[in-house]
Amino acid sequence: MNRRRLILSAAGVGLAATGLAGPAGALVTPAPTPTDDDLAYANFGLAAEFLLQDFYGQVERAKLVTGTTVREIKRGGFNAAEHAFALEQLLKGAAQTAAVRDDFDFTWPDGTFATKKQALATGLTLVETLLGVYLRAAAVVTVQSYRGLYASMAANLGQQAAALSEQSGGRIVGISFAPALELKTASDVLEAYLG
Amino acid sequence: MSAQRPSRFVGAAVAAVLACALALSGTAAGRSQAGPLTIYAAASLTGVFNTYDGSEKYSFAGSNVLETQIKQGAPADIFASASPANTQRLYASGLVDKPVTFTANRLALIVPKSNPAGLKSVYDLRSVSVKLVVAGAAVPVGGYTRTVLKKMGLSSVLSKVVSQESDVKAVTSKVALGQADAGFVYVTDARAVSDQVTLIRIPAWAQPRVRYEIAVVSKSPNKSAAQSWIKGILSTKGQTALSHAGFLPIPKASS
Repeated sequence: MNRRRLILSAAGVGLAATGLAGPAGALVTPAPTPTDDDLAYANFGLAAEFLLQDFYGQVERAKLVTGTTVREIKRGGFNAAEHAFALEQLLKGAAQTAAVRDDFDFTWPDGTFATKKQALATGLTLVETLLGVYLRAAAVVTVQSYRGLYASMAANLGQQAAALSEQSGGRIVGISFAPALELKTASDVLEAYLG
Repeated sequence: MSAQRPSRFVGAAVAAVLACALALSGTAAGRSQAGPLTIYAAASLTGVFNTYDGSEKYSFAGSNVLETQIKQGAPADIFASASPANTQRLYASGLVDKPVTFTANRLALIVPKSNPAGLKSVYDLRSVSVKLVVAGAAVPVGGYTRTVLKKMGLSSVLSKVVSQESDVKAVTSKVALGQADAGFVYVTDARAVSDQVTLIRIPAWAQPRVRYEIAVVSKSPNKSAAQSWIKGILSTKGQTALSHAGFLPIPKASS
């Protein structure tokens, strides 16, 4: 199994898109049709993952971090790219046109990458916002396999938040119950960066 | 001496005619051709095309309507569409030459200055009682509107539509005149009536890919002049005119 297929099957996206689900790809009932609400989370998530990927790239290029932190930043960028790929496949599987990276002109406020502290604070805002959206999506989307994908990505974003928090002098382990966010709230937070 | 007078007069007359001809042909595109070109263009291009080059003969309407007219043999030289779908269909049928992308745009929600429905966000369309006006699904801006609503999980607000218009100008006008509480238009149309409406942004993640394409009509008797005109709109001068009107540069993915 190649890496792409592994990502998709782990997230259940490929199976949902093809209507094949269950052990060993046995043919079962067709995948349920996702609602507009289900896909709104994917559309937002895809844009936000492109943004996050750009953020990690900017941090790396600005040489704001050193040592093991560089590895964590690279890993964060890699995770964002894999999430974006999974969401793109989810949207294509639902016959929607997925956004591409070039659809956005990301806007970073002046000074975002001037210091390590400022950059990591911005990164934490992005990651925690997206985590909140995925937590909400994992609870409310109607397609079972999508819930698995959102829960899986939320777990990874929790790790990214821990790494960014630690590097900026905060706690590694945060609050017990991270808040789920409404799409509108998250959209308002990220709009300033999405251009 | 007297024998020279007529020839001096003829020379002056010829010079005057030439000067006149040169003046007439001195359009914004800098080409030389007798008579104006006939340009069929999306309604959203009305202001910018007239400003860029007021010497041509324009027909502005919904791109879907113009596409149908060209299919029926309308005598256009150039077709500029608000959606690649219209130009690409004509290209596939051999009715236009290969289209090129020449600009882009964004969608916005507009409300009258008085904002009777109290809208502050696109999401508010779900919760409030509102008279919404949109363009028909076949019109590019109507298709883009439905894409935005689908991306945001708001397709249900289409049940609040009180009128489906034939082009973006009609949507803009209804909202500007207070005949509707809100409408989806291009950002450039909203700018044109900014004293009458308030613009509500649509998030970048929910924006459709609004691309404008332009092509020479295959049966045009003025192909060379039409190609020059298209070169002009793609030039720095043309792109500056579009930019001043609020249009976006040619997207990276299209260039």
